[in-house]
Amino acid sequence: MRKFCVYGKGGIGKSTVVSNIAAALAEDGKTVMVMGCDPKSDMTRNLIGKRIPTVLDVFRAKGPDEMKLEEVIFKGFNGIYCVEAGGPEPGVGGAGRGVVTAADMLDRLGAFNNLEPDVVIYDVLGDVVCGGFAMPLRKGLADDVYIVTTCDPMAIYAANNISKGIKRFADRGEVSLGGLIHNGRSVVDEPSIIESFATRLGAKVMGRLPMSELISRAEIRHKTVLEYAPNSEIADMFRGLALSIYLNEDRIVPKPLSDDELDEINEEIDVLMRNKETKEAV
Amino acid sequence: MDGGKFFGAFRACSGIKDAVTLTHVPVGCNWGAAMFKSTSNQPDIRQACTVMHEREIVFGGEEALREALVRADTLYNTPLLAVVAGDAPAIIGDDVEAVIDSVALNKEVVWMDAAGFKGTMREGYEDALVHLARLMEERNVIKNSVNLIGFCPDDFKVDADIKEITRLLNHAGVKVNCVISNCSFDEFVNAPAAELNVVMGQGTELVEHMKKDFGVPYLEVGYPYGLEGTKEFTNTICEHLGIGYDAEQEFDLEHFKRIYLYLHELYGTPVSVIGDFHAEPMTGFLDSELGFDIEVLASLEDDYFIFQQNVRDSNTTILFGSSFERNITEELKIPLVRFIYPVFDHVCVYEDAPYAGFRGAVYLTETILNAVMGFETKEIK
Repeated sequence: MRKFCVYGKGGIGKSTVVSNIAAALAEDGKTVMVMGCDPKSDMTRNLIGKRIPTVLDVFRAKGPDEMKLEEVIFKGFNGIYCVEAGGPEPGVGGAGRGVVTAADMLDRLGAFNNLEPDVVIYDVLGDVVCGGFAMPLRKGLADDVYIVTTCDPMAIYAANNISKGIKRFADRGEVSLGGLIHNGRSVVDEPSIIESFATRLGAKVMGRLPMSELISRAEIRHKTVLEYAPNSEIADMFRGLALSIYLNEDRIVPKPLSDDELDEINEEIDVLMRNKETKEAV
Repeated sequence: MDGGKFFGAFRACSGIKDAVTLTHVPVGCNWGAAMFKSTSNQPDIRQACTVMHEREIVFGGEEALREALVRADTLYNTPLLAVVAGDAPAIIGDDVEAVIDSVALNKEVVWMDAAGFKGTMREGYEDALVHLARLMEERNVIKNSVNLIGFCPDDFKVDADIKEITRLLNHAGVKVNCVISNCSFDEFVNAPAAELNVVMGQGTELVEHMKKDFGVPYLEVGYPYGLEGTKEFTNTICEHLGIGYDAEQEFDLEHFKRIYLYLHELYGTPVSVIGDFHAEPMTGFLDSELGFDIEVLASLEDDYFIFQQNVRDSNTTILFGSSFERNITEELKIPLVRFIYPVFDHVCVYEDAPYAGFRGAVYLTETILNAVMGFETKEIK
C-alpha cells in the first residue's frame, strides 16, 4: 500500500492537488482512498460533488461503539473512497485531537484492512500547528510527505515550517519528505525560486502546475479537472504528477532553512516582483 | 509528589461543607479527587462532574459544562456551586466564564481555572480561597475570635484535630469563628467577623486579601503538634489577642509516664519525615519531645526519587508521611505513620483521637509506639 500525505499553507491548493492526483491514480486502475484532515472538511467535495458526513460528525452523534464504516466512507469519482476527519466548530475544542480521534476510529472500524486500498492520500491542514495535525506523520500512517507551495514568500515560509515538523519525525525514522509540488498561481511565478528552496531543503520538485482557468471552472462545479476536462493539458499534468509521486522512492530528511536563508529567497522574489512591475510599466 | 493546582483548588472548595463542587475535568481527575476524599466521610457526596470524554476534548466541553451546571443546580440543595476547571478545558480553551454567565442558576457560583499544570497543590488552594473570598461580607468584629486557616476536609485527622484545637482555644477564652476550609457557607461568608486570622502553613493569600479588604490582621503559626508546639500555638494567639493565658497549665504528663520505659527505649530512634507544611512541626515534636533523630526531612515539592534514595541510604526505622509512602516502607520493612494527605488506606472516624493539641500529643505517641511494636528490629547500619 502506497501512503502519503500532502501539506501546505492554507488555500495553497492542497485539496485540488489531492483530489486530482487521486482521480488520476484511480483512472490508472488503482484502489484509492483519500482522507481529509482539516476541520473545514471540504477536500472530498470535488470527488463526491457535495459535502459528506465526517468521522467526527458520526462519532459525536453516535459515539465510538455504534459507528459503522459505511457511515463515514463514501465512494466518489472513479470509485475513490473518500473520508473526512472533520472537527469542531472554529474557536472551540481541540481540532488536533480530532484528527487523532478520527484516525483511531478509522483504524478501529477496519477501514484499511477491509477496503485494502492500493493508495492512501492524506490531505492535512495548512500547518503543523500542534501534535494532532502531525498525526499523519506518525505511527507509519504515511510513507512520505509532499508539500504544495507557490512562489509566495508566506507559502515558502509555511512550507519551511512544515519541513521542521517533518524533520522531527524523519529523524525518528517515522516519515520522510518526498518532495515539493509547485503550484504556479502566485503573483510572481518563477520555477527557479522553488528550485532554489528545494535545493536548500535537500528535496526535489515533483512537478509544476500552472495557473489554469479549467481548475477554477471544475471546482465551481465540484469536480476534478480529470472529470470536467479529462482531455485537457492540465489533466495530463495531474496524471504525470500522480505517477511521479506514486513511483517516487527518493525520500529525504529535510534541512529546514534558517531565517537568513529564507530572507535570501525573499530577496530573490522581491527582485522578480520589481522586474515584473518595470515590465508592466513599459 | 504534588497533586498540582487542580487538587489544591478542589480541596479548598470541597471544604465549604454545604457547597457542591463541580469539577470540569475528564473522568479520571474526578475519580481521583473523589477517591482521596471518600475514605473517612463516605456520605459526603457533594461532587458533580462534567465527565469530559473524547467527544468533549474534540468538540469542546462547553455544552457538557452548561448541562452539568443546570443539573447540579437542580439536584443539590446548596447555597454555593464551586466550579473547578482542570487541565483538559484549559488546554482546549473552553470559555468557562462565558458558559456560567449564559445560564441562570439559583446558587452562587464561583469558578476557578485550576489546570494542574499551572501550579502546585498549594497554589491551587491559595487561588481557590481568594476566588471564594468574594463571597465574604463585612461584619462587626467578634472580640477574641479567630479564623483557623489552612485545613482541608480530607486532611488525615482533620475533624479530630479541629475539635481539639477548638477545645484548647475555647479553654483559653478564644472563640473559633470559622475554620477554612472546613466550614459552612454562612461561616465562610461571616469570616471577616473574626478579630484575628490564624494561618497554618497555607492560606496566606487569603489572609492578605482579608487584611486588605476587611482589615482582619493575621498571624502565621506552626501546626500544633506535641506539648511544646501546642503551647506555643495557643500562647501566641492569646498574646496577640491580649488574653493573659499560659497553656502550660494544661500540660498533663500522666499518660506519658505510663509508657516511660518504651519512650526511653525509643530515644534516639532514626526516623524520616515527608510532608507539606505539617512536616516541620511534626519533626519538631519527634525531635524535641520524643528525642528521635531526624534522618531525612523532605517536602512534597522535592524530588521524590531522591527522597526515596535518601531514605534507603539512611538508618530510618520509622517513616512519617502519607499513603504514598507505603511502597518504600514495605520495601524497607519499616513502619509507616500516616499523618498527611492523602491517606487512602486508613480511616479516621473517631473525633476524639487527634494528632494535634495536647490530646493529640498523647494519641500520636500511642500511634507511633503501636506502629513500632510488631515490626522486626531493623539493623542500624
